[in-house]
Amino acid sequence: MRLRSTGLIALLSVSALTLSACSGGDDTEPEPAASTADVAEFPEGSTMAKLAEAGKITVGTKFDQPLFGLVGPDGVPEGFDVEIARIIASNLGIDEDGISWKETVSANRETFIKSGDVDIVVATYTINDKRKAEVSFAGPYYLAGQSILTLTTTTDIEGPDDLAGKKVCTVAGSTPEANLLANFPDTEVVPFGTYSECLEPLRNGQVDAVSTDNVILAGFAADNEDLEVRGEPFTEEPYGIGLGLEDDEFRTWINDTLEAAFADGSWTEAWEATAGTVLPTPEPPAVDRY
Amino acid sequence: MAQPTSSVATPPGREDVPGEPLVVLSKVNKHFGALHVLRDIDLTVHRGEVVVVIGPSGSGKSTLCRAINRLETIDSGTITIDGAPLPAEGKALARLRADVGMVFQSFNLFAHKTVLQNVTLGPIKAKGMKKADAEAAAMRLLERVGVADQSGKLPAQLSGGQQQRVAIARALAMQPKVMLFDEPTSALDPEMINEVLDVMVSLAREGMTMVVVTHEMGFARKAAHRVVFMDGGQIVEEAGPEEFFTAPRSDRAKDFLSKILTH
Amino acid sequence: MNVIFDNIPAYLTGFLMTLKLSLVSGILALICGLFLAAFRVSPLTPLRALATTYVELLRNTPLTIVFFFLVFVAPQFGILAPLGFWTAVIALSAYTAAFVCEAVRSGINSVQFGQAEAARAIGLTFGQSLSLVILPQAVRTVIPPLINVFIALAKNTSVAAGFATVELMASGRRLATANPADTVWVLVGVALFYLAITIPAGILAGVVERKVAFAR
Repeated sequence: MRLRSTGLIALLSVSALTLSACSGGDDTEPEPAASTADVAEFPEGSTMAKLAEAGKITVGTKFDQPLFGLVGPDGVPEGFDVEIARIIASNLGIDEDGISWKETVSANRETFIKSGDVDIVVATYTINDKRKAEVSFAGPYYLAGQSILTLTTTTDIEGPDDLAGKKVCTVAGSTPEANLLANFPDTEVVPFGTYSECLEPLRNGQVDAVSTDNVILAGFAADNEDLEVRGEPFTEEPYGIGLGLEDDEFRTWINDTLEAAFADGSWTEAWEATAGTVLPTPEPPAVDRY
Repeated sequence: MAQPTSSVATPPGREDVPGEPLVVLSKVNKHFGALHVLRDIDLTVHRGEVVVVIGPSGSGKSTLCRAINRLETIDSGTITIDGAPLPAEGKALARLRADVGMVFQSFNLFAHKTVLQNVTLGPIKAKGMKKADAEAAAMRLLERVGVADQSGKLPAQLSGGQQQRVAIARALAMQPKVMLFDEPTSALDPEMINEVLDVMVSLAREGMTMVVVTHEMGFARKAAHRVVFMDGGQIVEEAGPEEFFTAPRSDRAKDFLSKILTH
Repeated sequence: MNVIFDNIPAYLTGFLMTLKLSLVSGILALICGLFLAAFRVSPLTPLRALATTYVELLRNTPLTIVFFFLVFVAPQFGILAPLGFWTAVIALSAYTAAFVCEAVRSGINSVQFGQAEAARAIGLTFGQSLSLVILPQAVRTVIPPLINVFIALAKNTSVAAGFATVELMASGRRLATANPADTVWVLVGVALFYLAITIPAGILAGVVERKVAFAR
């Protein structure tokens, strides 16, 4: 009997790493190319000034999201979200040692921002109106969209139009689950705890497809030869940087920083070093200064 | 079962025992860990015979009694009942136990069932008897042991003597080939001992085959065909009751009798 | 607070699933647990060993791992349980049966040994002794701990939320996603619905316990 244990082992190791994760220390990632800002530039009393003066920033990110925020064996997360956070930190004059990484999951991001446990959240965090009532968003710095992953051998699912009557796996309580429930009434939604847990049921034929943001699915497809993403994204998920509600000064500054990073190529460099290894390099999105 | 007996005053001697061998123990050995509780026991109980087993505590007499219906397993040797060897665990053993009545020192009436239900449970469940028939038979037995008026009560509402008489009725209800009594009066208050012994004596006179572990010498004199004296896991001496109590041959029996008869 | 009243239908869907999971798993666990307990006191050594191994294994494994094995490991050996409700029922009842067994076994042990001997002595089989004499007497001591096992089961159904079952917890997570401003109240609502199962069960346990105390 051929044991398909790779997915299982990956799953177990992700859980293990999540448990053992701690804040970053001596990282050897190349410093982002963006120029380091001068501390004295920030208006007195602003969040930027406070963070720059302390030389420390706490960043909430995902620890289990390949390509965006995935903790490595050394306990430091890697991915596009992480690089974006590094660009912001370095523009505040904070070096690698000053960044504390804190794991945020979908359910606790607003809570962590409101309680001040984190200064910013860069965690595949979709900007939407309900969340805007709780926290402020800078960005977006990337436009994701919900898509479909299935086995390469599947023949009857080419895109979202083929999902009627199918079993589709996603994460319980996630935005993709809500999208599926609202827009695909004929689809049976099968919720699990994490996306990686969807893969074995998919291979066993217990579900027909997995659906969430295309960037997440692309990570799975890149790591598993038997899986592929089908069709075009059918939602728009603008990923933003979460920060304290009504801290407009900080939000504007982050937006400026992002635009500078779009312009000087450091955004592209960050993308190509992470998610760009499996996904095509997109055009930078337009920031939304609402 | 209700055959009248003529020789009431003097118990019959061994030559009067009518039946063929019913319970036969041969070379039976049993250990409790390092303790050798039954040593090469050979014992034959004939149909209609009443055998009283006596001996100091720890002599193995209770174990012997309990081994006959396999409440205790044995290490070696054979036990046959009516020619058939004791079966191992399972339905066959249950059937055999139905043929062997047992009365315990601590009564062991089913605490959650009424007196009547205690007596009918075996006939209904183990023998498949109809409830009405079982109840009629049970009432006759309760009448016979003198507790018919208690039939609706729970065991805890009865005195010890009444409980033990119900226990005898419960065993008799299975119409056993042989009755085993394991110190049936040891847990009773003195004033209740006789009411139980009376039932046992009448049972003996009706021809029931009985193995009785007891210290009641009066019962042995009145009802036993044979007394078996055990000590240290062995059968030391066997004799008719008169002979045993008046002229024991072994020193151990003399010593034991002197201890229990002096007061 | 309003978020709870505005979403009663969503809560109810989850609540009914949780109730269904609790009841179906509870009944199956009771049946399996009774057999396990019977095995554990049976005269046959292989049955005793089997039941003991099962109980020790399941009792000392986190429930999540039981789910995990059923959903992710068993399929690799060709065992494919129907995903969702029945997977949850199998995992929950397999797990809970071990606890039922221990509760019943301690009840059996509380019945005087002489009762079993007397039952055997009148020719009842092992099964008859257990069902007609021992268990009826054990019931009184067994029911209060059994209700506690059931309360634990009702709460444990929440583990199914991570394994393709939309019960109370999963419904709560959906509501939390839809109402990020009221996450706390959404969860309070979830807790209240769990209490709707566990508190009556707890009261029942108390009543039974007092009755038992009186009957002695």
